Amino acid sequence: MAIISREQIVEGLVGILGSEQVITDEQVLKESSLDRYRKYEQVCEVYTQPIPAAVVYVKSAEEVSEVLKFADDNEINVVPRTGQSAIEGGLETALKDSVVIDGSTMNKVIKVDEYNMQVTCQCGVPLQELDDMLRERGYTTGHSPQSKPLAQMGGLVATRSIGQFSTLYGGIEDMIVGMEAVFPNGKICRIKNVPRRAAGPDIRHIICGNEGALCYITEVTLKLFKWQPDNNRYIGYMLDDEHMKLGFDCLREVMVEGYKPSFARLYDAADAQQHFSAWLPEGKAILIWMAEGPANITPAIEAGIKEMMSKHPELEEVDPKLIEKWYGGLNWGPEQIAEEKEEIKATQNIGITTEVSGSWDNIYDIYKTACDRIMEEVPDMTLMGGHSSHSYINGTNMYFVYYYNIVDCAPEEEINKYHDRINEIICEQVIKYGGSIVHHHGLGKARAKYVTEEYGSSYYMLKTLKQAFDPNGIMNMGTLIPLRK
Amino acid sequence: MMLKLSDLSEGFDVVYELSVLTVGRRQHEAFLKTLYALKFEHVVRVEAEEDKDIRFCPEIIADLAAGYITDTSPQDVVIMGVQSSEGSNGKTPLLLAEELGWPCITEVTALEPVDEGHLKVTSEEDGHTAVQVVGVPCVLAVGNAPSSYLRVPTLKDKMKLGKKPIEHIVPNWDQLLEKERDVELTELAAVEERRDAVVIEGDTPEEKARQLYESYLKGRLEKI
Repeated sequence: MAIISREQIVEGLVGILGSEQVITDEQVLKESSLDRYRKYEQVCEVYTQPIPAAVVYVKSAEEVSEVLKFADDNEINVVPRTGQSAIEGGLETALKDSVVIDGSTMNKVIKVDEYNMQVTCQCGVPLQELDDMLRERGYTTGHSPQSKPLAQMGGLVATRSIGQFSTLYGGIEDMIVGMEAVFPNGKICRIKNVPRRAAGPDIRHIICGNEGALCYITEVTLKLFKWQPDNNRYIGYMLDDEHMKLGFDCLREVMVEGYKPSFARLYDAADAQQHFSAWLPEGKAILIWMAEGPANITPAIEAGIKEMMSKHPELEEVDPKLIEKWYGGLNWGPEQIAEEKEEIKATQNIGITTEVSGSWDNIYDIYKTACDRIMEEVPDMTLMGGHSSHSYINGTNMYFVYYYNIVDCAPEEEINKYHDRINEIICEQVIKYGGSIVHHHGLGKARAKYVTEEYGSSYYMLKTLKQAFDPNGIMNMGTLIPLRK
Repeated sequence: MMLKLSDLSEGFDVVYELSVLTVGRRQHEAFLKTLYALKFEHVVRVEAEEDKDIRFCPEIIADLAAGYITDTSPQDVVIMGVQSSEGSNGKTPLLLAEELGWPCITEVTALEPVDEGHLKVTSEEDGHTAVQVVGVPCVLAVGNAPSSYLRVPTLKDKMKLGKKPIEHIVPNWDQLLEKERDVELTELAAVEERRDAVVIEGDTPEEKARQLYESYLKGRLEKI
């Protein structure tokens, strides 16, 4: 906790950045004390976390360096942020008089290098703007998370984000080339842009996924890919919900045979009704693939998948135009968040997601037992389901989707009565069956309490990184490594 | 709105029995089952034939609803929506009220119970808000009511109550369509709605904000 007063913190920051970049407006501070993990508190405008001393807007790596040095000298907890789309508590200001360092004004695309197929941008470049600009030139980053309309480069790399087309392009860890980051002692480090190197450990992964707990990302270089949407092919099948195990096996079959569709999804019936109720009968799960890439490859992927699926009489093919239509409305922007807020206020019904991963031999058990336990143990559930949306040669993810009515419960209590309880059940089942409790949202503060079970003996390495890079404990405390009670 | 009215009735010594009637196809039944789970007592679907488009036939819909109320299940208050995505003509509540001989209030935004025979009805009228105490029976057409989201039943209620069978009415469509022959839909055109827009030019967000303030907001703010 800071060794100087709240007033001295603000004074020091104004001295570094000037008063225009240091925000102390009470409402801004309150809203900056949490993220969408505490969605119900946000909706009710009830703030239970310590209110930060200031939100500062930084314009360069040098400014970040100055602010971090000041924080390090005075043991002030800092929370790095860019697009504010975090949903696992990573942006909560867990300690008194924290400072939120906002990089959203560092929003310049520094270089589009079409020959070397890479783009360099500052941490505050919004992914949507970047990808829209690239697509106009015939390129894409290949990264398209649901948060695309909100998320910015720094946060995407810090949380090891993944996009909807990951089966082809990979997660952000597969897309990053080089980076620049600032460490708590003010040291600015650049990792150069090369296609590959074997000069020791891949130190990019100290930065990628650090969740603001080790350093502040200021610049990112990503790979580019050709954008060829005219070649896209959509494939879909419905199946009875009781055949979910077969659904996972179908996803596996496509991966194991060596196909690279850009997305591969399996929705259970409950979740599918949220997306496809206009035409999908109740009780039906759905399998979806999209093939993306050169014109002579996508028809081959389509034909290959169809041939494999034709051997399963339990599957019924659906019109690919219906899948294409759904694909057009996947992302969430500010409008949807504003509408959701009104809906939650009116209905007291709230929807949350938790994403995990597992191997092919345990993902169904994780999915089934977690759903069953939640239905049994948590009151007021209105929807419990999920989908797999990112597949690999050796396994897949499960994106649990759940809604519940908030009944007889103060906003401050909601997190304990419902959300944390559901998270706990999911994490317990994942750990029991040997999966990972976090697939792509980050540990944040919400799941940091399970970090030792998640890491096992390798927790030593994570803890050592934290101690080495952040010896004074100022970087987003409570994220990755839980606070000591 | 019906569920809110029912909630509010506690303490007024009025008990509302909620029924819902829709004219639609089988695909609508999933939604209707949700209403059972929300504790509606009667959920009725008048079976619309797959090959007959009745979206633009308010007379038929009003006829069917009036038949249900007079012949099958008497009601004190009929609340109707007016915002179906297609065929929204605003006529059905008025035609139904005429057929039943009941008063009709349109653009209703809120309801409160008063006693067994009366309701307090808030509605929009020519830019004003009217609050009236009306006697039942009456037909109310919902307007631009705030918070019109339907509440969500729990899965346990869905499992417990959602299995109750939907009540079906199979009308004599030939007879109904015969009656409709006096009215023939000869043209249907979408109303073209356009708005003027001004693109604010400027090199920086600050400059654009200043222009917006000077040319648009300043004058308006000064009048407040």
